[in-house]
Amino acid sequence: MYSEKVLEHFRNPRNVGTIEDADGFGKAGGGSKCPEDMTYFWIRVSDGRLVEVKHKTMGCPVAIASSSITSVMAESKTIQEALCITPQAVIEALENIPERKMDSNLGPHALRKAIENYYENVEQR
Amino acid sequence: MDVERIRADFPILQRKINGKSLIYFDNAATTQRPIQVLETIRAFYTLYNANVHRSPHTLGREATELYEQAHENVARFIGAENEREIVFVRNSTEAINLVAYSLLHSESEGLRLEPGDEIVLTIMEHHSNLVPWQFLRDRQGVVLRFVGLSDDGKLDLEQLQRQVTEKTKLVCCAHVSNVLGTINPVREIGRLAHQAGALFLVDGAQSAPHMPVNVEEIGCDFLAFSGHKMLAPMGIGGLYGRRGLLEELTPFLYGGDMIADVKLEGATWNKLPWKFEAGTPNVCGGIALGGAVELKSGQHLEGAVDYLQRIGMEEVRAHERELTEYALEGLQAIPGVRMYGPLNPDGQIGVIAFNVIKGGELVDPHIVAGFLNDEGIAVRSGGHCAYPLADRLGVEGTVRVSFYIYNTKDEVDRFLGVLDDIVRRRLF
Repeated sequence: MYSEKVLEHFRNPRNVGTIEDADGFGKAGGGSKCPEDMTYFWIRVSDGRLVEVKHKTMGCPVAIASSSITSVMAESKTIQEALCITPQAVIEALENIPERKMDSNLGPHALRKAIENYYENVEQR
Repeated sequence: MDVERIRADFPILQRKINGKSLIYFDNAATTQRPIQVLETIRAFYTLYNANVHRSPHTLGREATELYEQAHENVARFIGAENEREIVFVRNSTEAINLVAYSLLHSESEGLRLEPGDEIVLTIMEHHSNLVPWQFLRDRQGVVLRFVGLSDDGKLDLEQLQRQVTEKTKLVCCAHVSNVLGTINPVREIGRLAHQAGALFLVDGAQSAPHMPVNVEEIGCDFLAFSGHKMLAPMGIGGLYGRRGLLEELTPFLYGGDMIADVKLEGATWNKLPWKFEAGTPNVCGGIALGGAVELKSGQHLEGAVDYLQRIGMEEVRAHERELTEYALEGLQAIPGVRMYGPLNPDGQIGVIAFNVIKGGELVDPHIVAGFLNDEGIAVRSGGHCAYPLADRLGVEGTVRVSFYIYNTKDEVDRFLGVLDDIVRRRLF
């Protein structure tokens, strides 16, 4: 079964919402390969730090908990530190997940996409 | 174990049949369902109904979560290491067909059954664990070898030892006979099979509902079981398969949900166990079998497995053992009753097969069952889907009584009284 940590973040997910005029946006999941789980991440960056991280996630308990804890781990981190939030680090932070659930990688993937999007935006400016 | 409290959970036991209180002694055919399981069915369709593994909406996710948890609970119930080893199917028959077809078509040469390969079976198998293998014999030239019985309904283990050779690819055996109730020494049989390099399939349809069953302790490669014989609805059952084997085996049904990716040129398979669960599955049935907790609300949808585990399988077995001992003694005292099988409450589950002899002639078991039905007592009569076993016993059929958690000594008493009356007064 699920760890207390997973259930706690599933029932009370942190940082749910969007950021208007976000500096970066990324999404993961969805599509024919992963029709059930979908997550969107928005970040605001200031002085090289993620000063605000928001997400909206539709999916199974692990997907929701993963996005929630990813957002918490990324908050106020430098971009480089945020890029080091791996799926494995999220699993450890969630105190393990059932083997059948690999949806835990959605949060880190969407966060990485958001950071890539931030770089693209910066370059365009 | 509080039988009166258990009985209160089974509304059907309130029924009158022919003006008499129902005594349901046909549990080996199918059991009844407690209100907790009926409530789970109602709750699923009123609150959580959606297809699984498809849609991202809340209902879809909840249904998926409940369905997957049900696999987990069933895995735990039979001692499987992991829910990936539990495939939900319709019943034991489908589970065994799945193994038969997958072995027939296996892409892995080590697993594929080839002409001349041998399968060892026993003559006490239910047709579900015989006819699929006859199909393989006729289709693929596989050779079937049979193990017989002693007169008291026990497997001839010496013959089994002789039948299992290096040609044997598979040994198939009922854990418990559905006619005689005999509990077979599956651990020993499994050891013999594995020593010969063969796979070992156990038909657990009559054991999983009535006694502790643990696939790790048995050491089997496959275990088939039916939900409807253990308080769950009809149309749901399970196949346990050792993980490495299931990974290697070719699917039996093809279509939606069993794929990882599909192109016009071909497809790849989904992870276990979904690789073997093509199409929309019996989601409600699965949850009613395994039970699950809805994580947001905390609502517990109690499954048949939860109900049994709350009682404890050791307790279930002890209760049925007591009824069996009592009924065996009582039946022995009725003149003209001939019983079959071990006639030993330690060596059999709560299943007793018998016939009535009147005037030196064996009375047709359907006639006996008909008289019992007149008194509200439901029993089965006939060959019980195991005709070769009836042949071995030298009869066309038998009358079979089979007990479960809600049966009582009072019911056994009433049954014995009615049977005694039938033998003395109604038969001629």
